[in-house]
Amino acid sequence: MARLAALVLTLTLALLGSTAALAFDGEPALYEAAKKEKEFTWYTAHYNSETAVAICQGFEKKYPGVKCNHIRTTAQVAYQRLAQDQKAGIAQCSVISSTDQSHYTKMKQDGWLLPYKPKNLSELVDAFRSFNDPDGLFTATAAGLVLLTYNTSVVSPAEAPRKWTDLADPKWKNKVSIGHPGFSGYVGTWVVQMKKLYGWDYFKKLELNKPRIGRSINDTVTMLNAKESIVAAGPSATTLESRAKGNPVAVVYPEDGAVLMVSASGILKNAPAPNAGRLFIEYLLSREGNEVMVAQYQDPVNKSVKPMAGGKSIAEIKTIRPTAVEIETGIPEVKELFRETFGI
Amino acid sequence: MREKSFVIWLLLIALLLLLVINPLARLLWASFEHPETGAFTLANYAAAYGRWRHVEALINSLVIGLAVAALCTVFGVPMAWAVSRTDMPGKGLVWAAVLGTFIMPNYLGAVAWILMAGPNAGWLNRVYTAITAAEAGPFNVYSKTGLVLVIACYSFPYMFVFTRSALDLISSEMEDAASTLGAGALRTTLRVTLPLALPAILGAFIVEFLESIALFGAPALIALPARFQVMTTTLWQMFEFPPRVQEAAAYAMPLLLITVFLFWLQYRVIARKGYVALTGKGGERRLVRLGPWRWALLAYCLFVTSLSFFMPMLVVLQAAFARAWGRGFSWDNVTLRNLRFVLFDQTATRAATMNTFVYAAAASVIALTLALAIAYIVARRLVPLGRALTYVAMAPFVIPGIVLAIGFYAAYTTKPLVLYGTAWILILAFATRFLPIAYTNSDAALRSINPELEDAARILGAGRLLSLRRIVAPLLKRGLAGAFILVFIPATRELSSAIFLYTTGTQVLSVLLFDKSDEGNFEILASIGLVLVIVTVALVMIGFRLVGRDFMLRRQSTAVNA
Repeated sequence: MARLAALVLTLTLALLGSTAALAFDGEPALYEAAKKEKEFTWYTAHYNSETAVAICQGFEKKYPGVKCNHIRTTAQVAYQRLAQDQKAGIAQCSVISSTDQSHYTKMKQDGWLLPYKPKNLSELVDAFRSFNDPDGLFTATAAGLVLLTYNTSVVSPAEAPRKWTDLADPKWKNKVSIGHPGFSGYVGTWVVQMKKLYGWDYFKKLELNKPRIGRSINDTVTMLNAKESIVAAGPSATTLESRAKGNPVAVVYPEDGAVLMVSASGILKNAPAPNAGRLFIEYLLSREGNEVMVAQYQDPVNKSVKPMAGGKSIAEIKTIRPTAVEIETGIPEVKELFRETFGI
Repeated sequence: MREKSFVIWLLLIALLLLLVINPLARLLWASFEHPETGAFTLANYAAAYGRWRHVEALINSLVIGLAVAALCTVFGVPMAWAVSRTDMPGKGLVWAAVLGTFIMPNYLGAVAWILMAGPNAGWLNRVYTAITAAEAGPFNVYSKTGLVLVIACYSFPYMFVFTRSALDLISSEMEDAASTLGAGALRTTLRVTLPLALPAILGAFIVEFLESIALFGAPALIALPARFQVMTTTLWQMFEFPPRVQEAAAYAMPLLLITVFLFWLQYRVIARKGYVALTGKGGERRLVRLGPWRWALLAYCLFVTSLSFFMPMLVVLQAAFARAWGRGFSWDNVTLRNLRFVLFDQTATRAATMNTFVYAAAASVIALTLALAIAYIVARRLVPLGRALTYVAMAPFVIPGIVLAIGFYAAYTTKPLVLYGTAWILILAFATRFLPIAYTNSDAALRSINPELEDAARILGAGRLLSLRRIVAPLLKRGLAGAFILVFIPATRELSSAIFLYTTGTQVLSVLLFDKSDEGNFEILASIGLVLVIVTVALVMIGFRLVGRDFMLRRQSTAVNA
């Protein structure tokens, strides 16, 4: 009897859970309005193209009749394109997803964004709420980590670095890989956080190891796979995806904290498809949307979705992050310092 | 003198102004414009050249450009001579490998070279240490030398093709004259054959130089980790948030002066001598018999193409068919999953493949038509101040693609002519970008035709257009087919202008590839690269078929007949 009760309870919970994920207030009306717009365009820097493809396909499956076009680039290029469009008075993009915090501040200032408070906001991981705009102009829809990564065919788990400061250990001379804050928003945030933790001295010491500097944070994955470098400050998603394919790479959640990156999305005021845009933001927060992200090794932003196997949930680990203001004022500053110290 | 053809010349010149002058004028304007107020200012130049880092990057670019052009000459000229004038075996293979090299995008080649010559784990270094038991290998792609080698590997085909088409036109009678007077084969080649090809070699040298300083892909992948900047990576930084378009415009301006200077120099060198080598269809061309040396020459050709094509292609193939390329070669690591994803799952690739080749073909036709007309106007002095048109036609080459794209953007997003958002802005930008290649080729081809041939037709009563159609066009056919391919191929892999001008529905493969290059997903990158290379090879082969055996196999058939 008790077992039956437990079963009924589980079933009820599962049903409740799924209905909660499937529908939100006013979904049918929004879907109808979006269908009239037929399609929308999404400029995104949040994921790699495979993930962007998968998310668009997932959205089209859930909402047949609304086509999702995506343009996936780096954050700087996405913003540059949008700025070109705005200047020329061209309305093309409906949803923008940048990884550079300062873009949102500027877009807000310039009045490019349309306010929208998603109905699915209650599903968002609590820790990410502080990244949402108080006026509803942008909402956190993606999360990722910068952590320590290494090549498992050369470095044993015991030898692998445990703390950020271990990267400066002379035993990794000529074997460390990092990205460039002038190219990558992830790297910029990481540099700001390291400076906050250990002062600029951290990078002066790191320079003694002559790190190999790529552009994107994802370049570290290529460097590790090629064994050109064997330890790195790398991204969680791309490294775990590469590992899942069978590549000899692994991640370490640093004792002094993995750097948490939370990135927002916003709807454009001149969006040709504002309703499809709203529906899409709901999808990015929804359970289905997050299950697609997790299948692509991204960290979920929906609190009821578990992270991928082999990775830890953000709630389980120690994460650190600079505040929005620190990022915004810090990135231009550390770009200059970085160029001084590393010469590029 | 005034006839109906005159109107056509004027129309074509107008088109040239639209494609080149208007975007460049907008850029020039921007370079003197205050970013906020729009008032006249020199502050952009001060910002662009006031920092040693920026000046140093420019110097790096110039040094690398010169070194690349020199290395391309060393790579390309002997190969062109070997394929065109000697009885070297394996010409088909060498030509195919050069073609493959030319088709391979430099950013794809650069990634492959990082794997081959990375200082810690590059394959070449591992082989070296295994053989010599040394601590470390000597190869380091992350250096200026490394960058020069990689760029030269992917641009020497210009030198090869330019030189080869010139050599193909030189009749053996010239060489016979030298040998009658007692000169040996080597002396004849160095004193007679190669000097006759000098205009082509010099033209190619300039093209190589300009191409390498305007390149973005390979420097972004190699210069940064090697800890130095070049002009294009510095320009990239100016487009960081917040973008400094005006400063970038100012930074790019002096390059125009360099271009003008180079072509003035070429003009001075060539003007001193007459280079008319083709006086009719007559003139026998025989192959130089090399004896055992032909094998040494073949070895050299294969060495160069191994660096540029065979070895990098091996790396790309391994990654494209690997589950996890970091695991290296093994049968259980082989999969078709990546190619399937690229060809079927990712609908973007299919659309982009179609766009890539349609745009490239359209751009080639436009560029070639325009270039030929301009070259003809200049060569036959049909309008006053014709020489200035040469500079205009050549100018786009030295404008880095990113900057050209911004110029195009500024010119064609506002009325009266809104092209942004359509395929035309990409097609016209590609046509403009490769106009100099089309022009250099058309010019070289026209220069080698003696105007007397046309004059003969015109004396017999033919108008200018008829004599063009019946005399000049047939003589140019082969040269133009080559020129078409020379424009078509770089247009299929053009990245830097595409990245700012594409919109939804007008994506091209180069953009997809570039996105992959910083995504850490090398298996997919290699697969898209492979699709690009294979489809281009197939199309070029079909192109050869249409032009006829004559284009590719004439040398061999001559050898058989001889």
